[in-house]
Amino acid sequence: MRPPDEDARLAAVRRYQILDTPPDGAFDRIAALAARIFEAPMATVAIVDADRVWFKATHGLTGMDQVGRDPGLCASAILRGEPYVVTDTVTDARALANPLVQGHPGVRFYAAAPITTSDGQRLGTVNVLDTRPRRPTDAQLDALQDLAALVMDELELRLSAIRTVTAERDRRAEAERLARTLQRTLLPPALPTVPGLQAAAAYHTASAQEVGGDFYDLFPLNDGRWAFFLGDVCGKGADAAALTSLTRYTLRAAAIYDPDPCAALANLDTVLKGEYQGGSPRYCTAVFGALEPLADGSFDITLAGGGHPSALALRADGSVQPISTTGGQLIGMLPEPRFVQTTTRLLPGDGLLLYTDGLTEARTPDGAMLGEEGLMRHLATVGALTADDLLGSVEALLSRLGDGVSDDTALLALSVPSPSENRNQENR
Amino acid sequence: MTAPERLLTVTPRHTASGPFVIEVAGELDHHTARVLTSAVEEAPFDRDGVVLDLSGLTYCDSTGITVLITAYHRAQAAGTPLSLAGVRPDQMRVFSVVGLDQVFTFHPSVDAAVSSLQR
Repeated sequence: MRPPDEDARLAAVRRYQILDTPPDGAFDRIAALAARIFEAPMATVAIVDADRVWFKATHGLTGMDQVGRDPGLCASAILRGEPYVVTDTVTDARALANPLVQGHPGVRFYAAAPITTSDGQRLGTVNVLDTRPRRPTDAQLDALQDLAALVMDELELRLSAIRTVTAERDRRAEAERLARTLQRTLLPPALPTVPGLQAAAAYHTASAQEVGGDFYDLFPLNDGRWAFFLGDVCGKGADAAALTSLTRYTLRAAAIYDPDPCAALANLDTVLKGEYQGGSPRYCTAVFGALEPLADGSFDITLAGGGHPSALALRADGSVQPISTTGGQLIGMLPEPRFVQTTTRLLPGDGLLLYTDGLTEARTPDGAMLGEEGLMRHLATVGALTADDLLGSVEALLSRLGDGVSDDTALLALSVPSPSENRNQENR
Repeated sequence: MTAPERLLTVTPRHTASGPFVIEVAGELDHHTARVLTSAVEEAPFDRDGVVLDLSGLTYCDSTGITVLITAYHRAQAAGTPLSLAGVRPDQMRVFSVVGLDQVFTFHPSVDAAVSSLQR
């Protein structure tokens, strides 16, 4: 009953990835054409699976998408390389037992041509059915074989399209994986230890497929001060990673010549314009800061912003305050961008949070953007924290927002230990 | 593979009163931005002016902002008045953070933008 090499035949059926796919106009038209050529009420394009006959297309057989692999009709038709005809099921013992003959629709006539792969595997048939006995002409059977060959051509085309798409997807996944790796190498593996200061940073990934270009760094200047920056380049993937790399090294180099934060951003603006002039202009947004340790343990901070969300200070009393650089413009694309500089002092117990807009542009469950206001409300509920705890609290917020976060987010938190924490540290 | 483009519709049209209006609706991001890039490239940047109708813009990422600035460069170079119309509050906040509120001329609606260009 089963074809001699049924395993190889089933492997071929699987290879074409056709089973249980949605209806497709091309196959529907072939079934309709088969019925018309035979002037028969019903026709199907059928694929014979291990234990069922699945209809890729039916004409005149409504509400039926598969039947058991009972002998007599399709299951028998695929045993032979040429058309299979039952002129009257009443006179054919095997066909007579078939449920399509015994029950609805009461088939009396059946003719099928096998759908055959180039290596000779018969996947199924194009077949016509009638409720009265009949004798097909040679011309009709020839046409049925042509239609089966047409189905095979269509299956080959589909398979080749599937393979192209799969290869493209694999290639893209590999490119994104490389971009992700490259992007990781652009972040400092660990932040340096700044005496009298706690620092913590994190990179939150929103999507495995789309690599963002967020960046941050913290490093010493030559004069006993420290510098830090955090920003975001436009675009995604490998191009963004290249721009991130250029931006990061430009800012570090700029700080050596002139640690003035506004000058560092202006220098970056010049470099980006030189690099990306013409073709595809690129920009980034960033906050750049200089940290000066004071004798009493506090730090003076000078911050410059270029089109970037303002840093937020968490004061020891639990209040939250934007260190506003609003008005600063994005870097690298505007004719004469304006950068805004401001200063603040971090006293013992105070903290500072820098973030990229993946955080504030995240959607809350009611569909609104979190915004600076939403972030400040969150921080106000947690109170004064060390840099590690501050970072942990914002990461917890990000994971609560879940799918609402559609872009990568970089976070950099700084804090000056309060006197009690200093004592605790000394006791350790 | 063209599915993401459906998230953005860009409809350019001439107005009887002169200015060229490009209606942008949906999500402008790095998947869809090139649709607007082409529309901006094909728009006549002449003295009648260009209005970008962003009232239907629900999302704009950094690549989208790049396209808007490119339109600004083109308008500056050609001496064409360019304005953004109907920017939603969420989007306006994003523009303000990057400082674009100081770069573009904004109008509450296309009608307001068009009549301002005629004056």
